Amino acid sequence: MILKIDLRGGCEEMKVNDWCMYCGECAGVCPRNLIEVKETSIIFSKEECKDCRLCMQVCPIGALEPEE
Amino acid sequence: MIKTDVLVIGAGPAGSTAAKHAALGGADVILVDKKSEIGAPKRCAEGVSMGGLESLGIKPNPQWITRKIEGVRLVSPNGTSVWLTSDTVELPEAGYILERKVFDKHMAMDAARAGSRIMIKTLARSLQQEDDGYIVNLETMGEEFQIKANIIIAADGPESRVARWTGLNTATKPKDMESAAQFEMVGVEMEDNHCIEFYFGSVAPGGYAWIFPKGDDIANVGLGVLSTKTSKSAYEHLLEFVEDCPATKNAQPVELNIGGDPVGGMPKKLVTDGLMVVGDAAGQVNPLTGGGIISGMTGGMLAGKVAAKAIEDDDTSKERLREYEKLCHESIGKEISKYLKVKDYMLSLSDEELDSIAEAFKDVEFEKISTTELVKKLVKVSPRALLKLGKLF
Repeated sequence: MILKIDLRGGCEEMKVNDWCMYCGECAGVCPRNLIEVKETSIIFSKEECKDCRLCMQVCPIGALEPEE
Repeated sequence: MIKTDVLVIGAGPAGSTAAKHAALGGADVILVDKKSEIGAPKRCAEGVSMGGLESLGIKPNPQWITRKIEGVRLVSPNGTSVWLTSDTVELPEAGYILERKVFDKHMAMDAARAGSRIMIKTLARSLQQEDDGYIVNLETMGEEFQIKANIIIAADGPESRVARWTGLNTATKPKDMESAAQFEMVGVEMEDNHCIEFYFGSVAPGGYAWIFPKGDDIANVGLGVLSTKTSKSAYEHLLEFVEDCPATKNAQPVELNIGGDPVGGMPKKLVTDGLMVVGDAAGQVNPLTGGGIISGMTGGMLAGKVAAKAIEDDDTSKERLREYEKLCHESIGKEISKYLKVKDYMLSLSDEELDSIAEAFKDVEFEKISTTELVKKLVKVSPRALLKLGKLF
């Protein structure tokens, strides 16, 4: 599985677990429109992220988590 | 660079319907979808009303209908049932359970037959506004390319990123975004497998659980929750529901579906210069039921027709496209606003209140009682209903 995550920039590290099903709900609530969900990967623009974590909050299967 | 009159982004039912009607109206249309298979995976409980399909001019086809629904069972937290069956009450939502994987493809095929060009596995990534439309940057199989379009119809689902690129505010707040999880199951033992079932209360905080039959022992078993009302994921709630519900105790899953469902209603602005937004991307969803197939396709049909006329008139300004916005608010907006209030009321009820309402209604003969009498009866057990619903009925 390809997970392209841009880890530079504003927010804490975010982990996309490999059980992600790419439903796109996280992208819909991202207030800054920073999450691009492809068919089997997520591209997340971290530089502009303000770490609100709404994406993690709404995920129906808990696939998005803050990195330990 | 590829040029087209209308670019539809997203080939769900709303996008395909928009593409079909734009093409039928004489426009050059391209319909793109990021997935490799239109219609899969489904993110939906698959219920539609018969009247809704009819209003869209779509003839029911056994290839995409799995079950005809004859009634509704509403279940309160303590298991009290209220039955609404089509022999006792005229159900506006009586209808079919679809096979979305087949249905969505058929809708896209209709768009193609009307003259649309379809590109699958093609993702729109960004856009630039031009004097007479947009240049959209897309990607397919690792290759980047551009499409110049005079009108974009954004049908990109609950993500609704495309409209936001132009400055429209179509983001959904978590308090308005149902997080949903669903199993398609076999071995489901329903009391009546021609009725859809809804389970209310703390089983699904901020939403409800459903069982929609697709066969004698096959059903979509799912639930939607608001992340603002629970700390558990939708999936965790689903596992608990399936274990506790008598109908699913012996059932086995053959498919897991998840996704977001925007239940906050339509944004006021659905258009800007050269762009219209339709379907889930435009909040065209019944906020009470979360159902959005018919309302999204209605939005798609209206946008497609307006797009074709705007191309013909050579005027794609937001003033011209506002015709779509107006038609939407007239045709589906009022219902959406009404159900938004009913949803707010439903969400305010505790498990105990839901039980006492179910108790009061379980033996009601619905064919002998008017809506007004129903509301009176409701107010007796739930005084808040008057405050929240009094003006609606």
